[in-house]
Amino acid sequence: MDRNMKILVVDDFSTMRRIIKNLLKELGFTNLEEADDGQTALPLLKQGNFDFLVTDWNMPGMTGIDLLRAVRADPELVSLPVLMVTAEAKREQIVLAAQEGVNGYIVKPFNGATLKAKIDKIFERVES
Amino acid sequence: MTQAREHEFQPVVGREKRLADARALVEAIENEDTPAEAQLIGELTAAYSGNIFDEVGRMTREVHDTLKSFAEDERLGVLAEDEMPDARDRLRYVITLTEQAATRTLSITEDATPTAEQIVDRSQRLKDELAKVAASEADNARLGGVVESMSRYLDSATTCGERLKGQLTEIMMAQEFQDLSGQLLMRVIDLLEQLEEKLVGLLQITAPVRGAKAEDGKSAPAERAEDGVGPQLPSAGDNVVKNQDDVDDLLASLGF
Repeated sequence: MDRNMKILVVDDFSTMRRIIKNLLKELGFTNLEEADDGQTALPLLKQGNFDFLVTDWNMPGMTGIDLLRAVRADPELVSLPVLMVTAEAKREQIVLAAQEGVNGYIVKPFNGATLKAKIDKIFERVES
Repeated sequence: MTQAREHEFQPVVGREKRLADARALVEAIENEDTPAEAQLIGELTAAYSGNIFDEVGRMTREVHDTLKSFAEDERLGVLAEDEMPDARDRLRYVITLTEQAATRTLSITEDATPTAEQIVDRSQRLKDELAKVAASEADNARLGGVVESMSRYLDSATTCGERLKGQLTEIMMAQEFQDLSGQLLMRVIDLLEQLEEKLVGLLQITAPVRGAKAEDGKSAPAERAEDGVGPQLPSAGDNVVKNQDDVDDLLASLGF
């Protein structure tokens, strides 16, 4: 896995963006950018050569699930790996995210070990 | 007709007249005298309808009085126009305060982490340098002893530095509470907003002069999983996953 890959972290709470970015830095990822909802994230993704998207679900403006749909509907972004890190914990939501093509799903509260495990798994599959 | 309703609607016309009308009605039907039949039915109905109108009038007055007292209840106006917005502001302030506290804690852990890393790096470098000195001065027993005890100290400094780094990460992760509690509070704020809107709308209908300020026609949307429903409470039912293992099991069952 390339530690220099460009990652976009999307969450409406600045506290959570900071926590996720710090955890990613601890895992050796340094090329990090952030956005506070789907609406601001999508233009960044379209022009930014991102390799990985980490997004929350429940955000004003454009939700994470709609962002996921927009990503999967865009031929340029269709294969971008997407990890959801969210407090949304209903079974139907997890099933919906899977149907819409999410690559990993983490429920808050979470920890660094879980984040590392999911990222490892996602890129194991992507690269194989 | 039931007993109860017969009591409620006492006919206003005497028994003799009603009996006479009823007999005349039977006769009219037998003689196929349609105009007479219609007129007699009208008269019989009129014996009751006077009372029905009274009853409807009474009910209308009751509804009117209830709405009037609702509108005149100053407490409701204060609740809808002052206290509920105030409660929302307070909850928003709680979100701001927890955000400030979490941000402050994050800044400190971000500052402290490189310090802990430095302790680890420098201790290891110093230990390596000391080992080289000790090797080149192998015959100096006194120096050897000092290097030995310094190395032990540097080892423990490395361990402490590593532990400190882990603890700083834990402190950072604990700030996650701000996101979760903030999302829950925003849902309560949203609920208060909807409640307030409804109350103001109702007060506007009952007393337009009050000059309430809410926009109408904005109906409360039902909670949709699509939009995200926020953190679930620990008491939530089976429809909600309890931890990451549950999420992984569910995704595994979908072929993930």
